[in-house]
Amino acid sequence: MQLKLFVLSASSVVLWLVPLAALDKKLDIHKALQGVSLCAAIACAVSAGNIARQLADEGEIEELKLRAIKADVEDEISTSVYVSQQQRQQEAELILTSPGVDVEASRQALEAIYSSDLQETASPSDSPDYPIYLEVCKSMEAGKSVTLIVENVLKMGGRKFSEGKVKLQNLLNQFEGKSND
Amino acid sequence: MKAMYLANYFLAGCVAFTLLGWIASLHPMAMKAVLFLLAAMAIAWGLSWLLDYSLSKLLKITVADLQAVLIGGLAMLLIGLGVFLCS
Repeated sequence: MQLKLFVLSASSVVLWLVPLAALDKKLDIHKALQGVSLCAAIACAVSAGNIARQLADEGEIEELKLRAIKADVEDEISTSVYVSQQQRQQEAELILTSPGVDVEASRQALEAIYSSDLQETASPSDSPDYPIYLEVCKSMEAGKSVTLIVENVLKMGGRKFSEGKVKLQNLLNQFEGKSND
Repeated sequence: MKAMYLANYFLAGCVAFTLLGWIASLHPMAMKAVLFLLAAMAIAWGLSWLLDYSLSKLLKITVADLQAVLIGGLAMLLIGLGVFLCS
């Protein structure tokens, strides 16, 4: 299509200028030839203009399509960000309102959630809690109960037991969530 | 591509004015007719330039677009007739 456009444009210029400049005026038909070539030049220029307009319209439509797709993707990203933010907020509210867990343990749990969000890009083995998690996994595979794991592996028995349970849950969430990703 | 299509229509206008000059060269009566046509076009051009705001509202285009069309038409006339007279 573009080749046709350029050929028509070039032939239009040639048909316009060449008969006026190069045609021998002694020829009987030179006036007639000039008229015919000028008419042909107009026809070529108009058809080339029509083709170029069609191509320009198609280009505009393509650009609009691209803009719509970009806007759609941006909208989807912002929606997913909003949804994850809401989820985090709900989790935080759930931890804060859950009975049997003291305020300090809740604060630490929230800190753990937010720090795990910040460290999403880092590999799990970089985390200082990873060796503890490995030990927890070994104990779980050996069939030890949660109470034993909290008391022996996390060393949080007695008054710190509820805190230890939350920490265990956080550890499992943190590393199993990453291994699933 | 838009520039290409505008350039092609501009070229068509230039060739049309050359054709008008060619018609004028055929016969003295044709010359008078073409001169009359050019005079009418000059009057229409001047009036369009003076009444650009009301004309742009009537044609539903911007004043800048109308002025661009008028200047483009004048350039076509000058180039088209210039090429014919110089050949």
